[in-house]
Amino acid sequence: MSAGWQPTAALVRAALFGLVLMVVGMLLRRVDLVVIAVPLLVIAVWSTATRPVATPEVAQRIDHHALREGETTTWRIAVGTPDPGIDDVAAVLPMPRFAELDPPQGSVAAGTDHEGGGVTNLEVLVRSTRWGRRGVSPAWVIASSSWAGFRWVSSDDLPRPLVTLPVPAAFDAMPPPATAHGLVGLNRASRAGSGTEFAGIRPFQAGDRLRRIHWPRSMRTGTLHVTATWAEEDRHVALVIDAFGDVGDSDGIDGRASSLDTAVRAAGAIAEHHLQRGERVSMQVLGARQRLHVPPASGVGHLRRILDRLTAIEPGPQDRSAHDTAAGRLRLGIDPGALVVMLSPLVATSVLERAIDWSGRGFTVVVIDTLPTGVVDDDPDDPFRALAWRIRLLERDREIRRVQQAGVPVVPWRGPGSLDEVLRGVHRRARGPRAVRR
Amino acid sequence: MSDGPDLGRVAALRTLSTAQRMIRYAIVLAPVAVLATIGAETGGVNPPVAIVVVLLAGAWALMPDGHLGLLTLLLLAWYWAATVDHPTAVATLVAALAVLVFHTALAAATVAPPAARWSRSMLHRWGRRSAVVAAATAAAWGAARLLASARIDGNAALLSTTLLALAGGAVWLRRRSLTR
Repeated sequence: MSAGWQPTAALVRAALFGLVLMVVGMLLRRVDLVVIAVPLLVIAVWSTATRPVATPEVAQRIDHHALREGETTTWRIAVGTPDPGIDDVAAVLPMPRFAELDPPQGSVAAGTDHEGGGVTNLEVLVRSTRWGRRGVSPAWVIASSSWAGFRWVSSDDLPRPLVTLPVPAAFDAMPPPATAHGLVGLNRASRAGSGTEFAGIRPFQAGDRLRRIHWPRSMRTGTLHVTATWAEEDRHVALVIDAFGDVGDSDGIDGRASSLDTAVRAAGAIAEHHLQRGERVSMQVLGARQRLHVPPASGVGHLRRILDRLTAIEPGPQDRSAHDTAAGRLRLGIDPGALVVMLSPLVATSVLERAIDWSGRGFTVVVIDTLPTGVVDDDPDDPFRALAWRIRLLERDREIRRVQQAGVPVVPWRGPGSLDEVLRGVHRRARGPRAVRR
Repeated sequence: MSDGPDLGRVAALRTLSTAQRMIRYAIVLAPVAVLATIGAETGGVNPPVAIVVVLLAGAWALMPDGHLGLLTLLLLAWYWAATVDHPTAVATLVAALAVLVFHTALAAATVAPPAARWSRSMLHRWGRRSAVVAAATAAAWGAARLLASARIDGNAALLSTTLLALAGGAVWLRRRSLTR
């Protein structure tokens, strides 16, 4: 609730100084003091005589409620100033987290124009620099009367939601033909069927299409032969994001990336790449404050759905028991032929154990290490903190080796081609027999 | 835009818009102008008074939206009354205009955040109004010179009437400022 028009220090100063000096000047017969008092007395009378009565009407809105990282939108403030006593309008937009404002301090001011419908428009550009869902607090709007004698301050404090979608990192993969178990898609299946890739020439069977008859071979052998092709199927790519913690500092899209920044942008990139190839992508988030799950689907709309859910990730509790519980609860609900891509800084041991477990169950698991380089946990008040972090990193290296020995490749995220080498290895391994726990 | 004094105010000076920077210069220079006028009239300025006035002016440049700005004005008025004994000299008009500049700058500094750019309409409006008040001040100074040359004797009834009118004006100002 606004307190209405309030007198300012300027009015008190002008009135008190003007009156006191005028009286003293008259009593002391000092005309010079009267002259010096005149300007402030005139200002005090002017301010009071033109005191505004009507309350300004403020409407604030943001042009876009959803942006991509690095994109800019406009915060618009329309101040209705029907009272001619209102002279100046100013606004300050509080600096939102992970955003840049233009003007840099979010401060704007304008003189009122009573001839143009009595509405004064102010604008502040807002550039969101990091993915996520955040609220933008409304601007403080201050209206001033003539000579800044009276002031009115707005009382709107309801934040407007702003969703910032992650900009997927640059990613491309040229892995060998993968094992696919879906229905239709771009990947060569392990069975013959209706496709484009040549599989061989075989004798005609009932049901074969006539256009597939291979006439040269049929003429030579005297029996009908047809061209066989491999079926084309899609693949299920399951993205699993470790959100038990956010390691490292985040400076938004223009600066340093935390582990969760890398995971979110890489997940977006991998999803975009596979969805463009017509494959099904699902997503699950481990350890976030709220349960986030996107069921497998394909198409451009599904990419938008995945990016939207990625924005809702907030790192979960740091409690170890909560890690174990959350990791244990996760059920992928996919068939064993799916490719599971886990994105994790690999700091929580429960996540690594889960990766080994999934691999043992027959899933093809690839772990992308999202820990930023050069992370130090230093505290001047605690000399053992940095040492503890170094010991944890050594333990982490040992745990990663254990995971790799269990057949789960672990690769750092390097953008395009990050997964090429590891997927080739997975493909080679898939051709041979392997033990699977059921 | 009162935030309370802190070191952030000094840091915030770096983000001042051009108009606000000019306003802060005016807040510091206007009291110095009054001191210079007094010095020119009397042949010198008391150094402790000058130091206190300059320090106060600097403080108000950092915190324009405070009631203590009045203190600087009262100190200047007291020093003027105590030292200058040529009431209708041009120095009176200069001092009155400097007081106008000081108050106007303090008031103008509070209508917009320090980093906000002033629009052209704001500059024009404040400039026009300041010119009007400056003209009224000059007219008052001219009238005072005329009256001083007329050598009018003291009149208790006129004085009482004027004081009563001032008291009535004060009551009107107070009621109109605090009610509604």
